[in-house]
Amino acid sequence: MVDTESLVAVLPELLLVMFAIVIPAIGLGTKDSRILGFTALAGIALAAVGPALQILEDRNAVFFPSDTGLLVLDQFSALFMLIFLSVAFYVVLASIYFTKDDKHQPEYYTLILLATAGMMVVASATDLFVLFVGIELTSLSSYALVAFRKKDVKGAEAATKYFIIGGLSSGFALFGISLIFGVTGTTDFTLMNEWLIANPYPNDLVPVVWLAMIMIVVGFGFKIAMVPFHMWAPDVYEGAPTTITAMLAAGSKKMGFVALFKLFFIGLIAIKADWEFLIAIMAILTMTVGNLMALNQTNIKRMLAYSSIAQAGYILIAIPVATDYALAGGIFQILTHAFMKGGAFIVVATLATVAVGESINSYKGLGKRSPFLALAMTIFLFSLAGIPPLAGFASKFFLFWAPIQAATDTGADWLIWLSVAGIINSAISLFYYVRIVKYMYVEKGESEDKLVISKTMMAAVAICLILTVVIGIYPGPFYDACWNAAQALLSYSVPLP
Amino acid sequence: MSVEFTTGIPLSWFLLVSATLFTIGVIGILVKRNAIVILMSIELMLNAANINFVAFSAYYDLPMGQVFAMFSIGLAAAEAAVGLAILLNLNRLKDTVHVDDLNIMRW
Repeated sequence: MVDTESLVAVLPELLLVMFAIVIPAIGLGTKDSRILGFTALAGIALAAVGPALQILEDRNAVFFPSDTGLLVLDQFSALFMLIFLSVAFYVVLASIYFTKDDKHQPEYYTLILLATAGMMVVASATDLFVLFVGIELTSLSSYALVAFRKKDVKGAEAATKYFIIGGLSSGFALFGISLIFGVTGTTDFTLMNEWLIANPYPNDLVPVVWLAMIMIVVGFGFKIAMVPFHMWAPDVYEGAPTTITAMLAAGSKKMGFVALFKLFFIGLIAIKADWEFLIAIMAILTMTVGNLMALNQTNIKRMLAYSSIAQAGYILIAIPVATDYALAGGIFQILTHAFMKGGAFIVVATLATVAVGESINSYKGLGKRSPFLALAMTIFLFSLAGIPPLAGFASKFFLFWAPIQAATDTGADWLIWLSVAGIINSAISLFYYVRIVKYMYVEKGESEDKLVISKTMMAAVAICLILTVVIGIYPGPFYDACWNAAQALLSYSVPLP
Repeated sequence: MSVEFTTGIPLSWFLLVSATLFTIGVIGILVKRNAIVILMSIELMLNAANINFVAFSAYYDLPMGQVFAMFSIGLAAAEAAVGLAILLNLNRLKDTVHVDDLNIMRW
């Protein structure tokens, strides 16, 4: 049963939840956001020890060994835990100054830690229902976080929209899960796949699996803002407090991808022929709609939200290609996107604390007013567009190369169109990214005053900046980690007969 | 347990009820404009899934189904709590819970 060995697999989540409970207790004594924030940071750092050791030493831990376990700590889940924890780390670091004048500080940090714990449960789940519980934990915490500023009408509106859409998507996903459970008698990904191999198509029940699959894709598709389920994302990203927007874009959206990866690469790999076209079309639609809508946005958070939708389209390429290269490329893109998009949002948050608005016009002349933030923003935007030698280029290179490689290996030539669509879209996206850079450096702003920026927020930006540059120049070890993660995930899927 | 059930109401009836509930829930979300009614429709969708879990659990002798149903009842309760809090705050700020009035942010 539950011994210390298997407890290792849930220790990171347990630590986070423990700190999430301790922080309100500390909040009874002090209202200082620095003490609360640094306690949260300590919790995040402690929770990162387990996954970091796993990456280095590679000895897997399984919690609650039933047939295949409910939660595992392997290379895949450890890598994603580290991604989620580092997102939580820089978000909390930036929040210490960003929320210093708000009420209800302890709840804010508690909810961030709980949301991160939910993402980590998703990363380590081997069972569809456990994964769903993790998604709900994150979603419920983030609904509350979006509405964190109670007097902010925009935040209240965004939270309502987020909650309604989130509830709808949970309903779809749960109904799909219940159908899968009824048909296959299990919600474990590996056993699900074994059932599908044992009962191939002419079986009457397989159409029910298709129905369930579509419902789950709708449910998870809302979470990752896949077109046509993306309408909520720009509103919520715009209305939420900007540090929370960073967490939604860099953390909870990635959680949806982890869920889809597990569903398609382990659970439903046996019926790949039935879903590859569907997901491929969704991927191309998502990136195209995201980029086209981003072109004429005037609010920077909205523009970044649409760019985030486009990035989701790129990552979706990994699913229909379904080779280990594609999966590793997808994971690598998630890794880099977590830092470049999160970093861009943190820059927006930092500027908001010194009264620079969200309209892109207020970014005019920023290069003179705050050289560091303007440089950071430029690097994040160029990295998002995929310009070498930044992280976004490295990950896009691996991701777009995978379909071509798969097409030459398997002869499925249509896969090449995924790469073509991705490259064309990257070119389109350059247009709106460069516009911001031009505003910052070329155009003259209304004000020329130097901006004085808090040190903790500067540190949060610097973390993202350093990682974006380092991954771009020296992608080797990071790609290796993604490659090992991909192998760990694929080791659960039963090879086709 | 499964034997006792199979002689009574067939499984398909349960599935029919849950599918109907689910459809009512989806239509409710799409058609109704009052956020509280939408919240109720979301609960309907989750409960439809619960009926499925329990029915499958009884007919195929899968005890996990009932565990799942209990977990999802807990989740639905938590969701309602967070949702009502958000709607309460919205009502306090804008004096409405009509989703058509949520129009500060467009495109």
